[in-house]
Amino acid sequence: MSLQSALERLATYRANNTRASQDIFRSGLLVLQKSGFKKLGDDGWTSLEQLTLASIDVGRLDIADQCLQLIADKFPNSPRVDCLIGIRMEATEPPETALKYYADILEADSANAAIWKRRISVLRRTGKVEKAVNELVQFLDTFYTDVEGWLELADIYASCNQYDHSLQALSHVLLLTPQNPFYVLQAAETAYTSEDFALAIKMFLTVVDMTDTDDSEQLLQESTPLGITVRAWFGVKLCTRRLAQNANLKSLSNTSPPKNVELLDELATERLRVAYSSSGQKGEIAKGRQEVFAWVATPLA
Amino acid sequence: MIGKLFLTLATFALLHAAYSTYEHLSLLKALGKPEGSLPLDIVYESILALILGLLGASLNAPPLKDITWASEMKKRTIDGMDSRLGFAHYKSRGNFLFASPHNDGKI
Repeated sequence: MSLQSALERLATYRANNTRASQDIFRSGLLVLQKSGFKKLGDDGWTSLEQLTLASIDVGRLDIADQCLQLIADKFPNSPRVDCLIGIRMEATEPPETALKYYADILEADSANAAIWKRRISVLRRTGKVEKAVNELVQFLDTFYTDVEGWLELADIYASCNQYDHSLQALSHVLLLTPQNPFYVLQAAETAYTSEDFALAIKMFLTVVDMTDTDDSEQLLQESTPLGITVRAWFGVKLCTRRLAQNANLKSLSNTSPPKNVELLDELATERLRVAYSSSGQKGEIAKGRQEVFAWVATPLA
Repeated sequence: MIGKLFLTLATFALLHAAYSTYEHLSLLKALGKPEGSLPLDIVYESILALILGLLGASLNAPPLKDITWASEMKKRTIDGMDSRLGFAHYKSRGNFLFASPHNDGKI
């Protein structure tokens, strides 16, 4: 793996916000050993920070300390470096030490968003979920546009089985990032879990609408659903099942159920069949095709 | 490939036309009539250089990228969207699973 390709991988991971710590560690270690970070300027320091976090995640604290020393030497009084030192402390010291460190920094500067997030993360990790939720709600009152924070709140509520609160948090996420189909899918699945099938089916169909736009001029019959569109069609099928069983289900959000549940069911069946019928490379059949075909063929109600 | 070839040809043609103009103007100055007109073939050469240069630059452009949100979202994954890196836990099983077994610093 050459230096150039390693740096490109690091940049891609940074742009896509993925947490592939092992891969980042391997690429970053290569760059560090060839001292390639110094040539990059500003980008080099962000990549070095990425390597620090990945090496803490992977358990290689020796490399993490080395990188942290380099960064701290270059940027002496930076709040971002304080955050990195705090994360390094979280990895080895007991959580009370880390919490005290964060509390000291927050006393000096109470609007430090990154440190506040770390504090909430430590509180959640050590099991003080109620305190974490209170602090997170306070944080979101101050920093409304923080999508990560609303997603974390939705996740905490979902882990405590409070799906309607989770859906409320996700609705704020949808307000902040209306162009993102992944969050609509998460909201649809949360609505389904809290038994609001009318809302769920509407949201699943919104996901299909957002992701299935084919720029090339293909007929509707020829386009195969891919990626999260398939997941959305599965969701539509599940919802039509439940709606067909009991047409007068109470919807928590007072959404009216769709009028043509059988037609939607037929459409979802056909789309799923198409999705699992396209042969992959070397003419292989999609995994699980038989099971999917058997499942979609069972009659409604 | 063709784009780069056209661009190189266009650059040479333009430089050649410029040098010819300079030579012609110094000839006119030597002959004592500095307002003579430029010969037509130099004009044709520079227009040819312009056309070749346009073609070369268009063919040499990098491949076009999509601009719609839908095409950008097709490249992302659920893991990337849901990673919440600001709240990530750095004390997990990963610390033990991926560390080297003898703690000697080798991968």
